Amino acid sequence: MSTPSTTIQADPHPNPPSTGGRENEMGGREKAVSEPSRLRILSAVVEDHPGVLTRVAGMVRRRGFNIQGLSVGPTDAQGRSRMTLAVDAGHAEVDQVQKQLERLIEVITVEDLTEAPRLSRELALAKLAVAGPQRDRAVAEVDRFGGRVVDAGAQHVIVEVSGEFERVERFLEVLRPYGIIELARSGPVAMSKEVRSDER
Amino acid sequence: MTGAEIVLEALQREGVDRIFGYPGGANLPIYQQLPRYPKLRHVLVRHEQGATHMADGYARACGRPGVVFATSGPGALNCITGLATAYMDSVPLVAITGQQNTTLVGRDAFQESDVIGCSMPVTKHNYMVTRVEDIARVIHEAFHIATSGRPGPVLIDICKDVQQASWEPEWPEAVELPGYRPAFTPDLSRVREAAEALSKAERPVILAGHGVILSGAEEELCALAERSVTPTGTTLLGVGAFPVRHPLALHMTGFMGTGWNLKAVQNADLLMMVGMRVDDRVTAKLSEWAPSCDTFIHVDIDPSEMGKNIRPHLEVVADAKTALREMLPYVQHPQPERRRSWLTQIDRWREEHPLKYARSNGHLQPQDVMIEMYRRCDDDAIVVADVGQNQIWAALWWNYTRPGLFINSGGAGTMGFAFPAAIGAKFARPEKAVWCVAGEGGFVMTAQELSVAVKHRLDVKIVLLNNFSLGMVRQFQDDFYGGVRSEVDLSEMPDFVKLADAYGLPGLRVERMEDMRAAFDFAERTPGPVLIDFRIDPDANVYPIVPLGKGLDDFTELPDEYA
Repeated sequence: MSTPSTTIQADPHPNPPSTGGRENEMGGREKAVSEPSRLRILSAVVEDHPGVLTRVAGMVRRRGFNIQGLSVGPTDAQGRSRMTLAVDAGHAEVDQVQKQLERLIEVITVEDLTEAPRLSRELALAKLAVAGPQRDRAVAEVDRFGGRVVDAGAQHVIVEVSGEFERVERFLEVLRPYGIIELARSGPVAMSKEVRSDER
Repeated sequence: MTGAEIVLEALQREGVDRIFGYPGGANLPIYQQLPRYPKLRHVLVRHEQGATHMADGYARACGRPGVVFATSGPGALNCITGLATAYMDSVPLVAITGQQNTTLVGRDAFQESDVIGCSMPVTKHNYMVTRVEDIARVIHEAFHIATSGRPGPVLIDICKDVQQASWEPEWPEAVELPGYRPAFTPDLSRVREAAEALSKAERPVILAGHGVILSGAEEELCALAERSVTPTGTTLLGVGAFPVRHPLALHMTGFMGTGWNLKAVQNADLLMMVGMRVDDRVTAKLSEWAPSCDTFIHVDIDPSEMGKNIRPHLEVVADAKTALREMLPYVQHPQPERRRSWLTQIDRWREEHPLKYARSNGHLQPQDVMIEMYRRCDDDAIVVADVGQNQIWAALWWNYTRPGLFINSGGAGTMGFAFPAAIGAKFARPEKAVWCVAGEGGFVMTAQELSVAVKHRLDVKIVLLNNFSLGMVRQFQDDFYGGVRSEVDLSEMPDFVKLADAYGLPGLRVERMEDMRAAFDFAERTPGPVLIDFRIDPDANVYPIVPLGKGLDDFTELPDEYA
């Protein structure tokens, strides 16, 4: 893999610290709705059953949250999938996203990685209509950025980049002047950098 | 065994004795086998919504899960309102619906609908069974999920060809649900802190919700209130959890609660909320709720209730019974003088803001009907109320000296709930008197179930508070929507005495106070269902009431000139 192992500097959407107990200045009161961001990065292990995605998506909509990014893939364990979600808590208390996910019977564990030291990756594939000297310049930009050319034809190249959200955004910004004719982006996958005692 | 037999055998193994249902194309294999299982006594309803409310009333009355059968498509969809009602109020139900053949699902086959998709938001969990091997496990899991932790309805959608397939099942003992954690042991340090805070508070209030009744914590609640000398109120769904005639009783809270309760909540320095969601009907305007309170203690079995509406200072995540029992030993009996001024203040509020109603305008008053009914309840009858003014009148005039069962649709507010739920309650507790209080609007929404009461000669007494209008909506239009009465007139209604007669039960009409007692006497001495159509004051309103968008102590009372 040529993906550079950049450590995440900042979230695309920085978050306020979680509220709770006596420390919460809003203790027992309505939360102000004008906080800078309410995005939670959650990693959930779910049972690999039909309809689980519907349950998760339905719950998110029902509770007034909003999914901004989502990826689903298998885990190492048989019958278990991992969902990584970037969810805006909407008008709700931010801890509600995790708590409501945990209520779903087929959701086994949920980790809120928002404030944890973590790695996060997204993948983007971009098809550029480039030829001639323009193509050379585009490929040079891709190299400089640590992306890769994964397919090339007479009139186009397809490039890939992976990294955290911001890095993918910057990469695409650089490529836009060359004419992106098709773009496919994944949702995030994220992982805590810490090792929990039960994981050792 | 066929899938249908596995279903019925599994239900029998779960201890089911009563099923409320309606047959149709997609559950015919189950109904074909049903007569071979006489322990599963089936009640043929007249509409599937009725089945769900009956199962709901059954579950609330005896604590065992209610069971519903319905066919696919419209049969299953008719269950949705009843499932939502049970879900909002955390009532354990298991609904088993038939579904089209596995090979036809997804092809818009006859009476096919996406019951899983439709019921997902109104059930605790649901299953679609497409393999006969899964039936026994799924039913066992469904009962476990419905009844454990915070209870709720579970739907099982079983394809017809699966009901017809053959399999020799192994009956599971345990359940394997790695993502389901229903039981929480309370954090003892939190429990202790909560008990100490309660003992130390100057002006504490306990509010009890449905969770107290669901966990059977009435005794523990009473003991905690008495030991800590804490005034105790209930939510609408908590009515019955704490004896209303107890000296520490604050009766019902919320935007139609009693004046002394609302004053106490608004002036409390500590609020302990037990087994409740703290929803908008409890708090009125949230930002103005309990402004003097510096210690919120929330006891609930569902961790997601912590901070959903109110961020507590102390969280105790456990079922109410366990939490209160653990708390008791740490509660210090406060010095009498420590509580005296608070209790005196509450007594003063009780005198200043009594429950009042119009008495002298010549009309029959709904409150008089309720007072007379409760006089006959003897602290023991199950009272099932519908939704609207009748519900609040029934709740406010509740007068038990000990815990009792007041059943109503609190969260969902489902009109038409009361009568079928009363039928279910009577099936569950045949030894108890059951009174059904309803307005005429809600009653006609599920009145077809009269046939069920007649068929089973059920002693359910129907107290119809008939004001010829959608009373609560009318009151809101009068008071909060500029007095524009829009589509609330129900003067075209059946003659309820004739309606009762048509269904085969006795019906009476009462228009004057003088005839009220004789009608109740008749109802009590007549076996089987009786309907009394009380023609009440068409302008009777619910008081006190907090105007929409106002704080809890901005309540409006009955103007003195009407009292």
